[in-house]
Amino acid sequence: MSALFGTAVAVEAQKALASRVMISIAALVVGGIAVLSVGMLLGAATGDEQILAKMGPLAGVGGWAGLVGVVAQITAAGGVVAFGVALSWMFGREFADGTVGGLFALPVRRSTIALAKLTVYFMWAVGVAILLAAVVAVIGLALGYGSTDATGLGELVRIPVLVVLTALLCVPAAWVATIGRGLLPGIGATVVLVVIAQVFAVIGIGEWVPLVAPALWAITPDAVPVASLFLVPSVPLAFGVLCALAWSRLQLDR
Amino acid sequence: MSAPVQRLDVRGIVREFSGGAGVHGIDLAIAPGEIHAIVGLNGAGKTTLMRLVLGMLRPEAGTVSIDGVHLHDAPAALWAGVGQLVEHPLAYAELDGRSNLVVAARLHGIGRRHAGEVADRAIAEFDLARYAEVRASRLSLGNLQRVGLAAALQHEPRLVVLDEPTNALDPAGVILLREALLRRAAAGAGILVSSHHLDEVARIADRITVINAGRAIGALDPAGIDLERAFFAMLHADDLERPAA
Repeated sequence: MSALFGTAVAVEAQKALASRVMISIAALVVGGIAVLSVGMLLGAATGDEQILAKMGPLAGVGGWAGLVGVVAQITAAGGVVAFGVALSWMFGREFADGTVGGLFALPVRRSTIALAKLTVYFMWAVGVAILLAAVVAVIGLALGYGSTDATGLGELVRIPVLVVLTALLCVPAAWVATIGRGLLPGIGATVVLVVIAQVFAVIGIGEWVPLVAPALWAITPDAVPVASLFLVPSVPLAFGVLCALAWSRLQLDR
Repeated sequence: MSAPVQRLDVRGIVREFSGGAGVHGIDLAIAPGEIHAIVGLNGAGKTTLMRLVLGMLRPEAGTVSIDGVHLHDAPAALWAGVGQLVEHPLAYAELDGRSNLVVAARLHGIGRRHAGEVADRAIAEFDLARYAEVRASRLSLGNLQRVGLAAALQHEPRLVVLDEPTNALDPAGVILLREALLRRAAAGAGILVSSHHLDEVARIADRITVINAGRAIGALDPAGIDLERAFFAMLHADDLERPAA
Protein backbone atom coordinates (compact mmCIF):
# COMPACT_ATOMS: atom_id res chain seq x y z
CA MET A 1 0.00 0.00 0.00
CA SER A 2 2.63 2.55 1.02
CA ALA A 3 4.77 2.06 -2.11
CA LEU A 4 1.76 2.37 -4.39
CA PHE A 5 0.44 5.35 -2.42
CA GLY A 6 3.80 7.00 -3.08
CA THR A 7 3.43 6.16 -6.76
CA ALA A 8 -0.08 7.63 -6.86
CA VAL A 9 1.10 10.80 -5.10
CA ALA A 10 4.02 11.15 -7.55
CA VAL A 11 1.66 10.73 -10.52
CA GLU A 12 -0.88 13.21 -9.18
CA ALA A 13 1.87 15.70 -8.34
CA GLN A 14 3.26 15.38 -11.88
CA LYS A 15 -0.19 16.07 -13.34
CA ALA A 16 -0.76 19.06 -11.04
CA LEU A 17 2.66 20.56 -11.79
CA ALA A 18 2.28 20.10 -15.55
CA SER A 19 -1.20 21.61 -15.59
CA ARG A 20 -1.74 25.34 -15.86
CA VAL A 21 -4.90 25.03 -13.76
CA MET A 22 -3.31 24.66 -10.33
CA ILE A 23 -0.62 27.28 -10.98
CA SER A 24 -3.22 29.71 -12.34
CA ILE A 25 -5.49 29.26 -9.33
CA ALA A 26 -2.54 29.79 -6.95
CA ALA A 27 -1.55 32.97 -8.80
CA LEU A 28 -5.15 34.23 -8.81
CA VAL A 29 -5.58 33.53 -5.09
CA VAL A 30 -2.36 35.20 -4.02
CA GLY A 31 -2.39 38.05 -6.55
CA GLY A 32 -6.12 38.67 -6.30
CA ILE A 33 -6.22 38.76 -2.51
CA ALA A 34 -3.14 41.00 -2.37
CA VAL A 35 -4.56 43.52 -4.86
CA LEU A 36 -8.02 43.57 -3.24
CA SER A 37 -6.55 43.97 0.25
CA VAL A 38 -4.34 46.89 -0.74
CA GLY A 39 -7.32 48.41 -2.58
CA MET A 40 -9.53 48.14 0.51
CA LEU A 41 -6.87 49.61 2.79
CA LEU A 42 -6.29 52.52 0.42
CA GLY A 43 -10.04 53.04 0.09
CA ALA A 44 -10.43 53.02 3.89
CA ALA A 45 -7.52 55.48 4.25
CA THR A 46 -9.33 57.92 1.97
CA GLY A 47 -12.48 57.56 4.07
CA ASP A 48 -14.60 55.75 1.46
CA GLU A 49 -17.77 54.99 3.42
CA GLN A 50 -18.81 51.96 1.39
CA ILE A 51 -15.44 50.28 1.97
CA LEU A 52 -15.45 51.21 5.64
CA ALA A 53 -18.91 49.62 5.92
CA LYS A 54 -17.68 46.41 4.26
CA MET A 55 -14.71 46.27 6.63
CA GLY A 56 -17.06 46.32 9.63
CA PRO A 57 -15.16 45.99 12.91
CA LEU A 58 -11.83 46.13 11.04
CA ALA A 59 -12.41 49.71 9.96
CA GLY A 60 -10.69 51.22 12.94
CA VAL A 61 -7.91 48.66 13.23
CA GLY A 62 -4.54 49.66 11.84
CA GLY A 63 -1.10 48.08 11.49
CA TRP A 64 -0.53 44.37 10.94
CA ALA A 65 -3.79 43.41 12.65
CA GLY A 66 -5.81 45.58 10.26
CA LEU A 67 -3.98 44.29 7.18
CA VAL A 68 -4.30 40.65 8.27
CA GLY A 69 -7.98 41.17 9.11
CA VAL A 70 -8.73 42.55 5.65
CA VAL A 71 -6.78 39.72 3.98
CA ALA A 72 -8.68 37.22 6.12
CA GLN A 73 -12.02 38.75 5.20
CA ILE A 74 -11.30 38.35 1.48
CA THR A 75 -9.67 34.93 1.84
CA ALA A 76 -12.61 33.52 3.80
CA ALA A 77 -14.97 33.79 0.81
CA GLY A 78 -12.60 33.96 -2.18
CA GLY A 79 -10.43 31.14 -0.86
CA VAL A 80 -13.38 28.74 -0.66
CA VAL A 81 -14.24 29.42 -4.30
CA ALA A 82 -10.63 29.00 -5.47
CA PHE A 83 -9.97 25.83 -3.49
CA GLY A 84 -13.33 24.35 -4.42
CA VAL A 85 -12.63 24.93 -8.11
CA ALA A 86 -9.16 23.38 -7.74
CA LEU A 87 -10.59 20.25 -6.11
CA SER A 88 -13.43 20.04 -8.61
CA TRP A 89 -10.87 20.12 -11.41
CA MET A 90 -8.59 17.51 -9.81
CA PHE A 91 -11.44 15.03 -9.35
CA GLY A 92 -13.96 16.04 -12.00
CA ARG A 93 -11.50 16.27 -14.88
CA GLU A 94 -10.99 12.49 -14.86
CA PHE A 95 -14.66 12.17 -15.85
CA ALA A 96 -14.75 15.18 -18.17
CA ASP A 97 -11.60 14.07 -20.02
CA GLY A 98 -12.60 10.39 -20.06
CA THR A 99 -9.36 9.35 -18.35
CA VAL A 100 -11.27 7.71 -15.49
CA GLY A 101 -11.53 4.49 -17.52
CA GLY A 102 -7.75 4.23 -17.45
CA LEU A 103 -7.81 4.33 -13.64
CA PHE A 104 -9.57 0.93 -13.52
CA ALA A 105 -7.80 -2.43 -13.74
CA LEU A 106 -4.65 -1.09 -12.08
CA PRO A 107 -2.64 -2.46 -9.15
CA VAL A 108 -3.03 1.00 -7.60
CA ARG A 109 -6.49 1.06 -6.02
CA ARG A 110 -8.81 3.87 -7.02
CA SER A 111 -9.30 4.78 -3.35
CA THR A 112 -5.50 5.19 -3.12
CA ILE A 113 -5.61 7.48 -6.16
CA ALA A 114 -8.36 9.55 -4.53
CA LEU A 115 -6.34 9.91 -1.31
CA ALA A 116 -3.26 10.77 -3.37
CA LYS A 117 -5.22 13.54 -5.07
CA LEU A 118 -6.25 14.93 -1.67
CA THR A 119 -2.64 14.71 -0.46
CA VAL A 120 -1.30 16.63 -3.47
CA TYR A 121 -4.10 19.16 -3.05
CA PHE A 122 -3.17 19.64 0.61
CA MET A 123 0.52 20.12 -0.24
CA TRP A 124 -0.44 22.65 -2.92
CA ALA A 125 -2.70 24.50 -0.44
CA VAL A 126 0.15 24.70 2.09
CA GLY A 127 2.29 26.22 -0.67
CA VAL A 128 -0.44 28.77 -1.45
CA ALA A 129 -0.71 29.57 2.29
CA ILE A 130 3.01 30.23 2.65
CA LEU A 131 3.12 32.29 -0.55
CA LEU A 132 0.14 34.44 0.49
CA ALA A 133 1.65 35.04 3.94
CA ALA A 134 4.93 36.07 2.31
CA VAL A 135 3.19 38.46 -0.08
CA VAL A 136 1.16 40.02 2.75
CA ALA A 137 4.37 40.41 4.76
CA VAL A 138 5.94 42.30 1.85
CA ILE A 139 2.82 44.50 1.58
CA GLY A 140 2.93 45.23 5.31
CA LEU A 141 6.60 46.13 5.18
CA ALA A 142 5.96 48.33 2.14
CA LEU A 143 3.23 50.14 4.12
CA GLY A 144 5.79 50.80 6.85
CA TYR A 145 4.36 48.44 9.50
CA GLY A 146 7.88 47.07 10.04
CA SER A 147 8.75 50.19 12.01
CA THR A 148 5.35 51.53 13.08
CA ASP A 149 3.94 48.23 14.33
CA ALA A 150 6.90 45.87 14.80
CA THR A 151 5.22 44.00 17.66
CA GLY A 152 2.17 43.21 15.52
CA LEU A 153 4.11 41.06 13.04
CA GLY A 154 2.91 37.89 14.80
CA GLU A 155 -0.61 38.60 13.47
CA LEU A 156 0.65 37.28 10.12
CA VAL A 157 0.45 33.69 11.35
CA ARG A 158 -3.33 33.87 11.07
CA ILE A 159 -3.06 33.93 7.26
CA PRO A 160 -1.46 30.55 6.55
CA VAL A 161 -3.64 28.97 9.27
CA LEU A 162 -6.80 30.38 7.66
CA VAL A 163 -5.72 29.39 4.14
CA VAL A 164 -4.96 25.79 5.13
CA LEU A 165 -8.17 25.45 7.19
CA THR A 166 -10.19 26.95 4.31
CA ALA A 167 -8.60 24.46 1.91
CA LEU A 168 -9.51 21.59 4.26
CA LEU A 169 -13.13 22.75 4.41
CA CYS A 170 -13.46 22.45 0.62
CA VAL A 171 -12.97 18.66 0.51
CA PRO A 172 -16.75 18.09 0.13
CA ALA A 173 -16.36 19.55 -3.40
CA ALA A 174 -14.12 16.58 -4.30
CA TRP A 175 -16.76 14.12 -3.14
CA VAL A 176 -19.54 15.90 -5.03
CA ALA A 177 -17.38 16.10 -8.19
CA THR A 178 -16.93 12.32 -7.88
CA ILE A 179 -20.53 11.34 -7.36
CA GLY A 180 -21.65 13.96 -9.90
CA ARG A 181 -19.01 12.72 -12.41
CA GLY A 182 -17.64 16.08 -13.43
CA LEU A 183 -16.36 19.55 -12.61
CA LEU A 184 -19.67 21.39 -12.48
CA PRO A 185 -21.18 19.44 -9.58
CA GLY A 186 -18.02 20.16 -7.56
CA ILE A 187 -18.19 23.85 -8.39
CA GLY A 188 -21.89 23.83 -7.46
CA ALA A 189 -20.99 22.29 -4.10
CA THR A 190 -18.41 25.03 -3.61
CA VAL A 191 -21.07 27.70 -4.11
CA VAL A 192 -23.25 25.90 -1.57
CA LEU A 193 -20.34 25.90 0.91
CA VAL A 194 -19.94 29.66 0.52
CA VAL A 195 -23.68 30.24 0.97
CA ILE A 196 -23.85 28.02 4.07
CA ALA A 197 -20.87 29.81 5.60
CA GLN A 198 -22.43 33.21 4.90
CA VAL A 199 -25.80 32.21 6.35
CA PHE A 200 -24.21 30.89 9.56
CA ALA A 201 -22.05 34.01 9.84
CA VAL A 202 -25.04 36.33 9.32
CA ILE A 203 -27.24 34.58 11.89
CA GLY A 204 -24.31 34.70 14.28
CA ILE A 205 -23.95 31.05 15.30
CA GLY A 206 -20.75 30.36 13.40
CA GLU A 207 -18.14 30.14 16.11
CA TRP A 208 -18.63 26.41 16.64
CA VAL A 209 -19.52 25.62 13.02
CA PRO A 210 -16.41 24.26 11.24
CA LEU A 211 -17.37 25.95 7.97
CA VAL A 212 -17.39 29.40 9.57
CA ALA A 213 -15.12 29.30 12.62
CA PRO A 214 -11.75 29.75 10.81
CA ALA A 215 -12.92 32.87 8.99
CA LEU A 216 -14.43 34.43 12.12
CA TRP A 217 -11.28 33.58 14.07
CA ALA A 218 -8.96 35.03 11.44
CA ILE A 219 -10.92 38.29 11.19
CA THR A 220 -11.55 38.78 14.91
CA PRO A 221 -9.48 36.24 16.88
CA ASP A 222 -10.94 37.15 20.27
CA ALA A 223 -14.51 36.37 19.17
CA VAL A 224 -13.86 32.67 18.53
CA PRO A 225 -12.49 30.05 20.95
CA VAL A 226 -9.38 28.47 19.43
CA ALA A 227 -10.76 25.07 20.44
CA SER A 228 -13.44 25.43 17.79
CA LEU A 229 -10.73 25.35 15.11
CA PHE A 230 -9.95 21.78 16.14
CA LEU A 231 -13.37 20.78 14.82
CA VAL A 232 -12.34 21.78 11.28
CA PRO A 233 -10.47 18.53 10.45
CA SER A 234 -13.72 16.60 10.98
CA VAL A 235 -14.95 17.94 7.61
CA PRO A 236 -11.99 16.79 5.43
CA LEU A 237 -11.76 13.53 7.39
CA ALA A 238 -15.43 12.66 6.86
CA PHE A 239 -15.50 13.73 3.22
CA GLY A 240 -12.04 12.27 2.54
CA VAL A 241 -13.37 8.88 3.67
CA LEU A 242 -16.52 9.38 1.55
CA CYS A 243 -14.30 10.27 -1.42
CA ALA A 244 -12.15 7.16 -1.02
CA LEU A 245 -15.30 5.03 -0.71
CA ALA A 246 -16.89 6.64 -3.78
CA TRP A 247 -13.77 5.98 -5.86
CA SER A 248 -13.49 2.45 -4.54
CA ARG A 249 -17.14 1.67 -5.41
CA LEU A 250 -17.09 3.59 -8.68
CA GLN A 251 -18.79 2.07 -11.73
CA LEU A 252 -18.84 3.43 -15.27
CA ASP A 253 -22.58 3.01 -15.52
CA ARG A 254 -23.62 6.50 -16.65
CA MET B 1 -4.76 -33.91 -15.62
CA SER B 2 -6.43 -30.57 -14.79
CA ALA B 3 -7.46 -28.15 -17.53
CA PRO B 4 -5.01 -25.30 -18.20
CA VAL B 5 -5.83 -22.03 -16.45
CA GLN B 6 -7.48 -19.60 -18.81
CA ARG B 7 -6.18 -16.07 -19.04
CA LEU B 8 -9.82 -14.98 -18.93
CA ASP B 9 -12.86 -17.01 -18.00
CA VAL B 10 -16.28 -15.34 -18.09
CA ARG B 11 -19.29 -17.42 -17.01
CA GLY B 12 -22.94 -16.45 -17.23
CA ILE B 13 -22.20 -12.77 -16.83
CA VAL B 14 -25.25 -10.52 -16.53
CA ARG B 15 -25.59 -6.76 -16.26
CA GLU B 16 -28.81 -5.23 -17.47
CA PHE B 17 -29.74 -1.60 -17.98
CA SER B 18 -33.15 -0.07 -18.21
CA GLY B 19 -34.66 -0.49 -21.67
CA GLY B 20 -33.24 -3.99 -22.07
CA ALA B 21 -29.67 -3.01 -22.98
CA GLY B 22 -26.69 -4.70 -21.36
CA VAL B 23 -25.27 -8.19 -21.22
CA HIS B 24 -27.68 -11.06 -20.58
CA GLY B 25 -25.57 -14.09 -19.75
CA ILE B 26 -22.36 -14.44 -21.74
CA ASP B 27 -19.71 -17.17 -21.43
CA LEU B 28 -16.29 -16.42 -22.85
CA ALA B 29 -12.81 -17.86 -22.38
CA ILE B 30 -9.37 -16.90 -23.59
CA ALA B 31 -6.46 -19.30 -23.35
CA PRO B 32 -2.84 -18.17 -23.01
CA GLY B 33 -1.55 -17.15 -26.42
CA GLU B 34 -5.04 -16.77 -27.87
CA ILE B 35 -6.52 -13.73 -29.61
CA HIS B 36 -10.29 -13.74 -29.17
CA ALA B 37 -12.25 -11.15 -31.12
CA ILE B 38 -15.81 -10.12 -30.33
CA VAL B 39 -17.81 -8.57 -33.11
CA GLY B 40 -21.25 -7.05 -33.15
CA LEU B 41 -23.23 -4.03 -34.15
CA ASN B 42 -23.23 -0.81 -32.12
CA GLY B 43 -25.07 -1.37 -28.85
CA ALA B 44 -24.67 -5.15 -28.97
CA GLY B 45 -23.01 -5.23 -25.54
CA LYS B 46 -19.31 -5.51 -26.46
CA THR B 47 -18.18 -2.54 -24.39
CA THR B 48 -20.39 -3.54 -21.45
CA LEU B 49 -18.84 -7.02 -21.55
CA MET B 50 -15.34 -5.52 -21.50
CA ARG B 51 -16.25 -3.19 -18.66
CA LEU B 52 -17.50 -6.18 -16.66
CA VAL B 53 -14.23 -8.02 -17.32
CA LEU B 54 -12.22 -5.01 -16.12
CA GLY B 55 -14.23 -4.25 -12.98
CA MET B 56 -15.63 -1.02 -14.41
CA LEU B 57 -19.09 -2.50 -13.87
CA ARG B 58 -20.20 -5.02 -11.26
CA PRO B 59 -22.15 -7.99 -12.62
CA GLU B 60 -25.66 -8.83 -11.39
CA ALA B 61 -24.89 -12.50 -11.95
CA GLY B 62 -22.05 -14.63 -13.23
CA THR B 63 -18.31 -14.60 -12.63
CA VAL B 64 -15.14 -13.27 -14.17
CA SER B 65 -11.78 -14.95 -13.50
CA ILE B 66 -8.37 -13.75 -14.59
CA ASP B 67 -5.60 -16.36 -14.48
CA GLY B 68 -7.93 -18.48 -12.34
CA VAL B 69 -8.62 -15.78 -9.74
CA HIS B 70 -12.22 -14.57 -9.30
CA LEU B 71 -12.47 -10.82 -9.62
CA HIS B 72 -14.47 -10.36 -6.45
CA ASP B 73 -11.62 -11.72 -4.35
CA ALA B 74 -8.76 -10.66 -6.56
CA PRO B 75 -5.88 -8.76 -4.95
CA ALA B 76 -5.11 -5.39 -6.52
CA ALA B 77 -1.76 -6.82 -7.65
CA LEU B 78 -3.60 -9.07 -10.14
CA TRP B 79 -4.23 -6.02 -12.29
CA ALA B 80 -0.51 -5.47 -12.84
CA GLY B 81 -0.80 -8.25 -15.41
CA VAL B 82 -3.68 -6.64 -17.31
CA GLY B 83 -3.57 -3.96 -20.01
CA GLN B 84 -6.68 -2.29 -21.34
CA LEU B 85 -8.01 0.46 -23.51
CA VAL B 86 -11.77 0.86 -23.43
CA GLU B 87 -13.02 4.04 -25.09
CA HIS B 88 -10.68 6.88 -23.98
CA PRO B 89 -6.90 6.44 -23.89
CA LEU B 90 -5.20 7.08 -20.55
CA ALA B 91 -3.47 10.23 -21.77
CA TYR B 92 -3.53 13.48 -19.82
CA ALA B 93 -3.72 16.62 -21.95
CA GLU B 94 -1.11 18.48 -19.92
CA LEU B 95 1.55 15.73 -20.18
CA ASP B 96 3.63 14.96 -23.24
CA GLY B 97 3.63 11.55 -24.93
CA ARG B 98 6.56 10.15 -22.98
CA SER B 99 5.35 11.47 -19.61
CA ASN B 100 1.96 9.88 -20.23
CA LEU B 101 3.64 6.55 -20.89
CA VAL B 102 5.80 6.87 -17.77
CA VAL B 103 2.68 7.67 -15.72
CA ALA B 104 0.86 4.65 -17.17
CA ALA B 105 3.85 2.39 -16.51
CA ARG B 106 4.04 3.53 -12.91
CA LEU B 107 0.30 3.06 -12.37
CA HIS B 108 0.75 -0.49 -13.68
CA GLY B 109 3.27 -1.15 -10.94
CA ILE B 110 6.55 -0.51 -12.80
CA GLY B 111 9.12 1.08 -10.48
CA ARG B 112 10.39 4.61 -10.99
CA ARG B 113 13.80 3.41 -12.18
CA HIS B 114 12.42 1.22 -14.95
CA ALA B 115 9.37 3.23 -16.03
CA GLY B 116 11.46 5.44 -18.32
CA GLU B 117 13.01 2.43 -20.10
CA VAL B 118 9.58 0.83 -20.51
CA ALA B 119 8.18 4.07 -21.98
CA ASP B 120 11.15 4.41 -24.36
CA ARG B 121 10.63 0.85 -25.64
CA ALA B 122 6.94 1.61 -26.21
CA ILE B 123 7.83 4.83 -28.05
CA ALA B 124 10.03 2.81 -30.39
CA GLU B 125 7.48 0.00 -30.83
CA PHE B 126 4.61 2.37 -31.65
CA ASP B 127 6.73 4.82 -33.67
CA LEU B 128 5.96 7.70 -31.31
CA ALA B 129 9.42 9.35 -31.22
CA ARG B 130 8.16 12.50 -32.98
CA TYR B 131 5.43 12.92 -30.38
CA ALA B 132 7.35 11.96 -27.26
CA GLU B 133 7.77 15.58 -26.21
CA VAL B 134 4.47 16.89 -27.57
CA ARG B 135 1.65 17.56 -25.09
CA ALA B 136 -1.25 15.15 -25.51
CA SER B 137 -3.58 18.14 -25.96
CA ARG B 138 -1.80 18.81 -29.26
CA LEU B 139 -1.83 15.24 -30.58
CA SER B 140 -4.20 14.09 -33.32
CA LEU B 141 -6.83 11.52 -32.36
CA GLY B 142 -4.84 8.81 -34.13
CA ASN B 143 -1.63 9.61 -32.29
CA LEU B 144 -3.52 9.88 -29.01
CA GLN B 145 -4.86 6.39 -29.69
CA ARG B 146 -1.31 5.16 -30.34
CA VAL B 147 -0.21 6.60 -26.98
CA GLY B 148 -3.19 4.89 -25.32
CA LEU B 149 -2.41 1.54 -26.95
CA ALA B 150 1.26 1.85 -26.02
CA ALA B 151 0.18 2.63 -22.43
CA ALA B 152 -2.03 -0.47 -22.39
CA LEU B 153 0.62 -2.84 -23.79
CA GLN B 154 4.02 -1.52 -22.67
CA HIS B 155 4.09 -3.37 -19.34
CA GLU B 156 3.72 -6.72 -21.17
CA PRO B 157 0.38 -7.72 -19.64
CA ARG B 158 -0.73 -11.35 -19.53
CA LEU B 159 -4.29 -10.30 -20.40
CA VAL B 160 -5.03 -7.55 -22.91
CA VAL B 161 -8.52 -6.05 -23.36
CA LEU B 162 -8.97 -3.56 -26.21
CA ASP B 163 -12.25 -2.02 -27.33
CA GLU B 164 -12.23 -0.95 -30.97
CA PRO B 165 -8.45 -0.41 -30.83
CA THR B 166 -8.08 0.62 -34.48
CA ASN B 167 -10.39 3.63 -34.02
CA ALA B 168 -8.70 6.69 -35.53
CA LEU B 169 -5.52 4.77 -36.41
CA ASP B 170 -3.96 5.26 -39.84
CA PRO B 171 -3.03 2.15 -41.87
CA ALA B 172 0.52 2.23 -40.50
CA GLY B 173 -0.87 2.34 -36.97
CA VAL B 174 -3.16 -0.61 -37.69
CA ILE B 175 -0.18 -2.69 -38.84
CA LEU B 176 1.88 -1.66 -35.78
CA LEU B 177 -0.98 -2.68 -33.50
CA ARG B 178 -1.53 -5.99 -35.29
CA GLU B 179 2.15 -6.87 -34.95
CA ALA B 180 2.22 -5.76 -31.32
CA LEU B 181 -0.73 -8.04 -30.50
CA LEU B 182 0.69 -11.02 -32.41
CA ARG B 183 4.02 -10.64 -30.56
CA ARG B 184 2.28 -10.58 -27.19
CA ALA B 185 0.06 -13.52 -28.01
CA ALA B 186 3.14 -15.47 -29.13
CA ALA B 187 4.64 -14.68 -25.72
CA GLY B 188 1.59 -16.19 -23.97
CA ALA B 189 -0.74 -13.25 -23.44
CA GLY B 190 -4.48 -13.72 -23.84
CA ILE B 191 -6.07 -10.98 -25.90
CA LEU B 192 -9.70 -9.88 -26.06
CA VAL B 193 -10.39 -7.37 -28.80
CA SER B 194 -13.62 -5.92 -30.14
CA SER B 195 -14.15 -4.56 -33.60
CA HIS B 196 -16.68 -3.61 -36.23
CA HIS B 197 -14.22 -4.51 -38.95
CA LEU B 198 -14.49 -8.19 -39.77
CA ASP B 199 -11.56 -8.30 -42.21
CA GLU B 200 -9.31 -6.65 -39.70
CA VAL B 201 -10.02 -9.09 -36.86
CA ALA B 202 -9.94 -12.07 -39.20
CA ARG B 203 -6.28 -11.33 -39.90
CA ILE B 204 -5.17 -11.90 -36.31
CA ALA B 205 -7.96 -13.58 -34.33
CA ASP B 206 -7.88 -17.24 -33.37
CA ARG B 207 -11.57 -17.10 -32.52
CA ILE B 208 -14.36 -14.70 -33.40
CA THR B 209 -17.48 -14.56 -31.23
CA VAL B 210 -20.56 -12.72 -32.48
CA ILE B 211 -22.41 -10.66 -29.88
CA ASN B 212 -25.98 -9.57 -30.48
CA ALA B 213 -28.47 -8.00 -28.05
CA GLY B 214 -26.23 -8.76 -25.09
CA ARG B 215 -25.66 -12.44 -25.83
CA ALA B 216 -23.01 -14.50 -27.60
CA ILE B 217 -24.92 -15.98 -30.54
CA GLY B 218 -22.22 -17.92 -32.34
CA ALA B 219 -18.72 -18.00 -33.76
CA LEU B 220 -17.23 -17.07 -37.10
CA ASP B 221 -14.37 -18.97 -38.66
CA PRO B 222 -11.46 -16.48 -39.03
CA ALA B 223 -10.36 -18.45 -42.11
CA GLY B 224 -13.85 -18.28 -43.62
CA ILE B 225 -14.31 -16.83 -47.08
CA ASP B 226 -17.26 -14.46 -46.71
CA LEU B 227 -17.27 -13.36 -43.09
CA GLU B 228 -19.60 -10.45 -43.68
CA ARG B 229 -22.28 -12.65 -45.17
CA ALA B 230 -21.96 -15.21 -42.38
CA PHE B 231 -22.04 -12.42 -39.77
CA PHE B 232 -25.25 -10.85 -41.05
CA ALA B 233 -26.89 -14.23 -41.57
CA MET B 234 -26.19 -15.04 -37.92
CA LEU B 235 -27.58 -11.70 -36.73
CA HIS B 236 -30.66 -12.05 -38.90
CA ALA B 237 -31.41 -15.56 -37.65
CA ASP B 238 -30.95 -14.42 -34.05
CA ASP B 239 -33.20 -11.39 -34.49
CA LEU B 240 -35.92 -13.63 -35.96
CA GLU B 241 -35.57 -16.20 -33.24
CA ARG B 242 -35.35 -13.89 -30.22
CA PRO B 243 -38.86 -12.39 -29.97
CA ALA B 244 -40.30 -15.92 -30.09
CA ALA B 245 -38.02 -17.14 -27.30
